[in-house]
Amino acid sequence: MTNLPLWFIPLFPLIGCIVLGAIALISSGSKKGPSEGFVGALSVLFPALAFASVVLLSFNMPEGGIRATLCNWIDIPMFKVDIGFLFDALSRIMLLFVTGIGTLIAIYSIGYMHGDRGFARFFAYINLFLFSMIVLVLSDSLLLTFLGWEGVGLCSYLLIGFWNHDINNCKAANKAFIVNRVGDIGFLLGMLILCVVGGSTILNYDALTSFISSIAAGGYAEGADVVKAFFNALFTGTFTPDIVVPILSIAGLCFFIGCTGKSAQIPLLTWLPDAMAGPTPVSALIHAATMVTSGVYLLARLSTMFVQIPVILDVITWVGLLTAFWAAVAGLFQNDIKKVLAYSTVSQLGYMFMAAGVAAFDSSIFHVFTHAFFKAALFLGAGAVIHSLAGEQDMRKMGGLLKKTPVTACVMIFAFLAIVGFPGFAGFWSKDLILERLYMSGPMGPFFYVGGLLTAVITAVYMGRLIVLTFFGSYRGSKESEAHIHEAPATMLIPMVVLAFGAVFAGWLWADSMGIKYFEEMLAPVVGAAQAVLPHNAAHVNPMVFAGLGTLAALFGMGIAWAKWGKARIPAAKGSSAPQGKMATWTFFWDYVHGVVVTVVDAIAWFVDNFVDKIVQFAQWLVASIAEILGDGVASFQVRKVRLQIALSLAGVVALVIVVLLTGGLI
Amino acid sequence: MLLHLLVLAPFVAAILMVATSKEDPKSSSRLAFLFAIAFFGMSIALIAGGNQSTEAIEWFRIPGAKGPVYYYLYSHGLGAWMVLLSTGLSLVALITARNTTCKNYRNFAIGIFALMGAMNGTFLAADAVLFFFFFEAMVIPAAVLIAGFGGKDRAKAAMTFAIYTLVGSAPMMVALWYLISQADSGVLLSLVIALQNMPEGVQTAILVCFLLAFMVKTPIFPFHGWQAISYSEAPAPLSAILTGAMSKAGVFGFIAWIIPIFPVNVSVYNTLMWLGLLTALYGALMALRATDAKKLLAFSSMGHLGLAVAGVFSLSEAMLPAVLVLLVAHGISAGAQFLLMGIGERMTGTRELDKLGGLARVTPVFGSLFGFVAILALAIPGTAGFVGEFTVLLSLWDMGPLPALVAGLCIILSAAYMLRFVQKVIFGEQKCEVTGTRMTALEGSSIGIMGVLLLVFGMHPAFITNALHLFDDQAIEAMAKLTNALPATADEVDENGAAPSSIPGVDAEADENVADDNVADVAVPMTEEDFRQLDSNLAANGFSEEERANLIAQLKAMEAEDSAEAAAPAAAEEGGNK
Repeated sequence: MTNLPLWFIPLFPLIGCIVLGAIALISSGSKKGPSEGFVGALSVLFPALAFASVVLLSFNMPEGGIRATLCNWIDIPMFKVDIGFLFDALSRIMLLFVTGIGTLIAIYSIGYMHGDRGFARFFAYINLFLFSMIVLVLSDSLLLTFLGWEGVGLCSYLLIGFWNHDINNCKAANKAFIVNRVGDIGFLLGMLILCVVGGSTILNYDALTSFISSIAAGGYAEGADVVKAFFNALFTGTFTPDIVVPILSIAGLCFFIGCTGKSAQIPLLTWLPDAMAGPTPVSALIHAATMVTSGVYLLARLSTMFVQIPVILDVITWVGLLTAFWAAVAGLFQNDIKKVLAYSTVSQLGYMFMAAGVAAFDSSIFHVFTHAFFKAALFLGAGAVIHSLAGEQDMRKMGGLLKKTPVTACVMIFAFLAIVGFPGFAGFWSKDLILERLYMSGPMGPFFYVGGLLTAVITAVYMGRLIVLTFFGSYRGSKESEAHIHEAPATMLIPMVVLAFGAVFAGWLWADSMGIKYFEEMLAPVVGAAQAVLPHNAAHVNPMVFAGLGTLAALFGMGIAWAKWGKARIPAAKGSSAPQGKMATWTFFWDYVHGVVVTVVDAIAWFVDNFVDKIVQFAQWLVASIAEILGDGVASFQVRKVRLQIALSLAGVVALVIVVLLTGGLI
Repeated sequence: MLLHLLVLAPFVAAILMVATSKEDPKSSSRLAFLFAIAFFGMSIALIAGGNQSTEAIEWFRIPGAKGPVYYYLYSHGLGAWMVLLSTGLSLVALITARNTTCKNYRNFAIGIFALMGAMNGTFLAADAVLFFFFFEAMVIPAAVLIAGFGGKDRAKAAMTFAIYTLVGSAPMMVALWYLISQADSGVLLSLVIALQNMPEGVQTAILVCFLLAFMVKTPIFPFHGWQAISYSEAPAPLSAILTGAMSKAGVFGFIAWIIPIFPVNVSVYNTLMWLGLLTALYGALMALRATDAKKLLAFSSMGHLGLAVAGVFSLSEAMLPAVLVLLVAHGISAGAQFLLMGIGERMTGTRELDKLGGLARVTPVFGSLFGFVAILALAIPGTAGFVGEFTVLLSLWDMGPLPALVAGLCIILSAAYMLRFVQKVIFGEQKCEVTGTRMTALEGSSIGIMGVLLLVFGMHPAFITNALHLFDDQAIEAMAKLTNALPATADEVDENGAAPSSIPGVDAEADENVADDNVADVAVPMTEEDFRQLDSNLAANGFSEEERANLIAQLKAMEAEDSAEAAAPAAAEEGGNK
């Protein structure tokens, strides 16, 4: 089975999407809808097949990866790009958890979406999402990655606005898409810059790597002619790295803007909390485990380029740090259980970007990997809680659910221990590793480390608050709703339990302080060379110190949470679950900034509509009026005055004769 | 034969449609479908057949012009694809119109066929006068259809449309007349040569006259005054044709007439590129504000075509295929959106965005199709729109980062207004009753096919880009024949004249030719610089290395002949003739 073609992997979800879409469309007229069992089976089958093929390929993957070029895509002068796939260590690990968690969440959704009128449509979108995500990570060129990149954005839009009869959901979906579009334009411009520097061939990852390394080595064999021609024309300067590196930096910045959009980093982070309007499995799959991490994936994929432009790496670290801290603080004030998790996702993504910023791409991918398990488990757990409370999302109306839904509670508590970094759990290993790499990164290292550690404390506080408010104390909802609380069905519980296992044990793939480095060795062929480029602080610190401090941070934060909310009486909630008072505007500061931008655009549009357009219309009216007045004037010649008419006719004939004579006769 | 059929047969079809019943749309629509399908098939055959041309037939002579006007058709990739858009959109428009304009479907079909013939003529004409003839002829059936089948404000809309576009091309008529009074004939090559010999001021004046006509037709800011009202008042199937095919005549004019015949004029072209970008921005902003669904679509079209024009005048190497893909993508997606909106209007009786809503729930199939097409119009990668926009962006980047950034901004804004549009029409609470005829299976599937085509072209744009060879050797040869026609006869006559001849007819002819020769002598001979300019000019326009070399060589040979003639003692020649 070694020769299983790569395109099989995206093909399965694509077929699934088409088949389910057709079913949804055909059955849309009927009252009852298609059989849920049949649709559910189909919708799990295709992701599972994709997962199976990834596993098969994973076992047989040669060291250097598998490359396959399918066919030509765009072929015009200046621009030639092929459709091709690249299956290497990086895409393998991404694909494994994308398809694996995708399958699990498809199973979960069968239970969660039970009885929804859009059952088949939902799964069609999920399959389309998996297709796009697989293309994103499997492609061998930036352009094809961009196809997946916008494809996942589109699916995110479709799924956030899944319950589209509520206009607020649609607005959240629109916001997600438009904010992502801003980032996508960054990606697009980045590709254009690369095309200009090295021709369209370097959109291919392999070609890009060799191009960059040739620049780094000082030899400009590839694409030198193109570049020379371009820069000679532009700056009339000679071709030196002094010019290429700044240009590459701009390209890098553009790609990073793309990443901030997709991965919800400052300044484009506002869409993710709003995206929680979608069904919870979607939040788990797209807005926690897979899609939002594609920014981190892109950084790792372009690692060879980014290590050549340290300025941008610094920007990335700072943005990551600020985002991690900001979102963690914002998470403290949320009352909606899903919003807490959303901010927590943003914060964790900040960690990954910090790691990427100090060129520790392998540990950032490792955090992507572990985060996928525990965050998906948390979201699915939250979904089960919401399901059992018949749609209630406000944590102030929950409480004491530990006894009523024990399995869900256990899953969530395990995942909670993982995210706060309790020793032995998945998050402990990956977060610890990131903090260690931050410390070692250079002169600013200790500062970054302290920032990361502080964020870890806050993480433990708000996650502790979530667990305490939801599962401990006594139930704070209404009496009649208490009777209906029930544990989720098995289709929902099984995936949760599997993910909880991941949340506990996934970290052991790279237990650095225990000397297990399987994950690092696996990723070394892809990012190892790039990571070796930048100098690291050689000062050796005992890893146990980091582990100890990390554990202390987690325990300290949990302690605060328990002290603050463990025994406190929570006032009964009224109205919306949004944060109250000043916290609302304060937390959503970036919403305010976006609001300003939107207002400016609206104002310009208003100006254009009411002013510029009116001027154009006035000019038109003016011309028409002049013509009309002239017409009226000329009409006065059309009167019954025989002499005048004859005189005019004669003058006309004379004029014609003169014209004919002057132009040399008729023909 | 195919070319003749595509241009003339629609008019014949329009006449034949008169024979069908006025009252019964069913029977008349059958014949109309039959014709439309035949034309659509022919246009596919045209693309498959590659470049082809007809024999040049002398049609008539214009007073003051040197050569006759030829009825001469030539199809290259660009024109052929535009013809496909015109026939394809007409077909789908006729299908949806059956339920929309039940009353007097026959007359509607007659108008559509006349419009189709005029559009095909515009896209296939190889003679400038013929092109202009069809370019103007398009306006008449379109205006009549708007006046006859439009909405509330139809009289005003038809008037605005007709007068604006006709007045816009009036300067072009004058300029064209002057041009053919200088050139041997109206074919492209002779125009090129004639223009090369003119002083720069005159060249620019003619260029501006030509540009004006195309800018009005496209439309480019600030000449867009006619567009919003015409598109929104026209019956939706007609709007689809207007935006999908007819508005392309402007861009087509830029590519197929302006750029090949005029020497590169950097400042004018730069201005046009910025005007194109301004149009794109303006269209997007106006679409954000629009409250009328069809006006929103009209401004969206304006924005996309502005981008296309900006791409054209970036004059990069990738320009031609990029713009072609963008045009085809826009034609299909904007056409499909107008058609769908027409069906939406038929169902709900309104096109006010604030009164629509929730259609996805009431009519799920319509809703899905509407959303699908809107998403395709967003230029998601994998659709033809993306290939077009990305490559146009690439061309713009050639001019510097700023144009590309502006275009990027337009792409963001286009997402904003398109999503708002989708949300207002199909999502949210249902605000209006669905009373009219729902979307039929035939309508749905034909619009669906348009959507699928966008996906196919998005994943395999080679279907479009491979068809592109604006002028191959054969065409240039044919054109050169027409251009050389007069000097060649002159040469023969000169030889005859040298020998003692007593045929009076020849003498008369020779007299004429001497006059021509004198004109040629007065004209400044082409310098090396001119050749280089011409060369770069042609290169920008998709001529291959070989084609260019060929063309230049021919021109040089002609120059050599001319100068040889000039060197011969002119007095002796004249004496011999007398």
